[in-house]
Amino acid sequence: MSRRTAALALGTAATMVLTGCSAMSGGEADGTVTLNMVESLTNPARTDLLKSLIADFEQQNSKIKVNLISPPTEQADQKIQQMLQSGSGVDTLEVRDTTVGPWSNNGWLHDMKKDLKPWKGWEAMTENAVKASETADGKTYFVPYGFYGLSVFYRTDLIKEAGFDKPPATWDELLEQASAIHDPAKRRYGYAFRGGANANGNATAVIEAYVADKIDPADGFKVKDGSTIFAAPEAVDAMKTYLKLFKEASPKSSVSWGYPEMVEGFSNGSTAFLLQDPEVIATVSESKAIAKDQWDTAPLVAGPSGKTVQPLATAGWGIADGSKHKAEAVKLVEFLSEGKASTAFTKKNSLVPILKSATEDPFYKTGPWSSYVTMTENPDTYLNVSQPRGVAWWAEWQQKADADIQKMVLGKTTPEKLLDGWDAYWTEKRQQEN
Amino acid sequence: MPTASDTTETTKSASAGPSGTGGTPHGRGTQRGRRKPEFTARRGFLIAAFMTPAAVFVAVFTYYPMIAGSQMAFRNWKLTDLTDTSWVGLKNFRDVFADPAWGTVLGNTGIWVFGSIVPQLVIGFALALWLRRKFRFRGLYQALIFFPWAISGFLIGILFRWMFNSEFGVVNDLLQKAGLIDEPVAWLADPQTAMFAVVVANIWYGVTFFTIMILAALQSIPEELYEAAALDGAGKVRTLFQITIPYIRVTLALTVLLRVIWIFNFPDLIFGMTGGGPNNETHIVTTWMIKITQQGDYGRASALGLIVVATLLVFAVFFLLATREKREVKS
Repeated sequence: MSRRTAALALGTAATMVLTGCSAMSGGEADGTVTLNMVESLTNPARTDLLKSLIADFEQQNSKIKVNLISPPTEQADQKIQQMLQSGSGVDTLEVRDTTVGPWSNNGWLHDMKKDLKPWKGWEAMTENAVKASETADGKTYFVPYGFYGLSVFYRTDLIKEAGFDKPPATWDELLEQASAIHDPAKRRYGYAFRGGANANGNATAVIEAYVADKIDPADGFKVKDGSTIFAAPEAVDAMKTYLKLFKEASPKSSVSWGYPEMVEGFSNGSTAFLLQDPEVIATVSESKAIAKDQWDTAPLVAGPSGKTVQPLATAGWGIADGSKHKAEAVKLVEFLSEGKASTAFTKKNSLVPILKSATEDPFYKTGPWSSYVTMTENPDTYLNVSQPRGVAWWAEWQQKADADIQKMVLGKTTPEKLLDGWDAYWTEKRQQEN
Repeated sequence: MPTASDTTETTKSASAGPSGTGGTPHGRGTQRGRRKPEFTARRGFLIAAFMTPAAVFVAVFTYYPMIAGSQMAFRNWKLTDLTDTSWVGLKNFRDVFADPAWGTVLGNTGIWVFGSIVPQLVIGFALALWLRRKFRFRGLYQALIFFPWAISGFLIGILFRWMFNSEFGVVNDLLQKAGLIDEPVAWLADPQTAMFAVVVANIWYGVTFFTIMILAALQSIPEELYEAAALDGAGKVRTLFQITIPYIRVTLALTVLLRVIWIFNFPDLIFGMTGGGPNNETHIVTTWMIKITQQGDYGRASALGLIVVATLLVFAVFFLLATREKREVKS
């Protein structure tokens, strides 16, 4: 390599680095601000949708450009974490109910409470959405874009064959119907049990349904007297029913079933009942194994009191504390959380919507979506309870709980011992917190 | 009758070399071998210039993070709360060893490494011997056997997760059709069979590497050796043990060393297949480390990382010392 070539290469490299650095800083040469926006639950269709929404936003705000960063889902939260830790390079970001706790705890998120006070968007939002935007201490670190809520996917033809005229409304009815349908010799299974990744979600859903009358609306893991839901006597009944559901109505291998196996089990026509988020509606609709008239959804099953708790998971758009363009970032958050942008985002991502107007939308009023609308319209039966998903130890809890559920279904522990362990865990964590 | 001078002459000619230039053989690397190039400052500068970018890259992206990360092992470094990252000494190491799952994790790591390496070596060797022969479509077979190496471990894990699925998997389907099992086996849901299943998947994945390495080594054995052995009446087994294996012993040793390190450090497949479950029964040290990382406890995960590095260093040194003599003899 000659000296001239070497000098040219070095010059090019330096120019590229400097160009990159200037792009990273959201340069304002002509008064234009560039916002870096990072998404977390990335998938190609969603990224395309976000890009089209951003294009609309840029059209309305000619002095703001948005640079969308879409890391692969598996590493996204870690990537965002690194960016937040470095204190620069991110303005608007996707914050989940599971990440808001640790990120705000480390001072990485901007409290938008004051910025959003005059915003008219709040009036159009459902009660659930407004609630989800606030932390226990009244701060707003993200505005939710939608919810992931559970409903019962069921086979209309199989329950009819088994002699039932309507889908189950309670956990006991679910156990009864699923057991009646369950016949492994024919490769037909009652219930798609979740024993693998995120098993804790459905297990706590059944406990919350059984203690619905006593539950603390501000903290779904507490009853009104301040003790944990796991210490309540109803929790033992709940876990015994849940264990029966596994033993008498679920495939053996569902000890390790995660999301893909559950959905596959229902979509391929072998399993009669499934508890899942609305995003599964699209997957099941595309199934070649079951026709449209063979399945439907019903509201989440209730406990003995006839009530249940909607374990809503959520995520939304927030702003990094290190952002130098907070006013523009707030504008973007507002744009994405209202009107057409919000409706398009929730519909195309199969999310429970954040806008009140959705209940009048034919898209949500008919077919499999109607059960979600039913739940939203009946908050006395389907209670809106905040889950403590924002606590700093949530990830640790999930892993512990998942392993414990597997222990229970494998016969290595009892429902009572499992609940004692969970009660001790949450009691200790709460004490440390205080 | 010879005289004394005649005797002297005879002795001289007897001690002379065949070329009549004395009995010293030609020094290797002097007249016949390549001459070692003269080392000059300019040449040294050139070598340094070529090596500097790579050295800087390795230093910045490997050694700096490694050293910076190592200190986390001695601190209370939890991502969920970075307000207190104080020095805690050996607490993270004690926490690793005190974990009730540590015994299972350690045992599983042993099963994972040695349960995979032995069958991989044997099957890889057999395939290499087979592929060495000339036959029709040999290239196609080679491509088919080498193909798994091109796929990511995580993806292989997901593939095998579905194959071993009790209700919808092809493994149970084939075993039932062959009449080997009466009812489906819940491979990945039963702690007794889950570890076996992940090891089987790993054997399938890793055989390829042994085949590639051994085949390359086999092709370097001179054909004359086999011809001479055949003339001496040596059978196939004797040829294998007295010519083939001794000749490629160095390659075998180094391949085993590399594979032990890689398998020890290979969480991808288990992660895709079982995620360490059921009930943490298929966790190995590296998947356990990832699990702790996911909980946000970087301090404990770094402590475990240092334990892994130390273990592999000790293993590599012992292994290299044990095989050094043989390798020196060979070279």
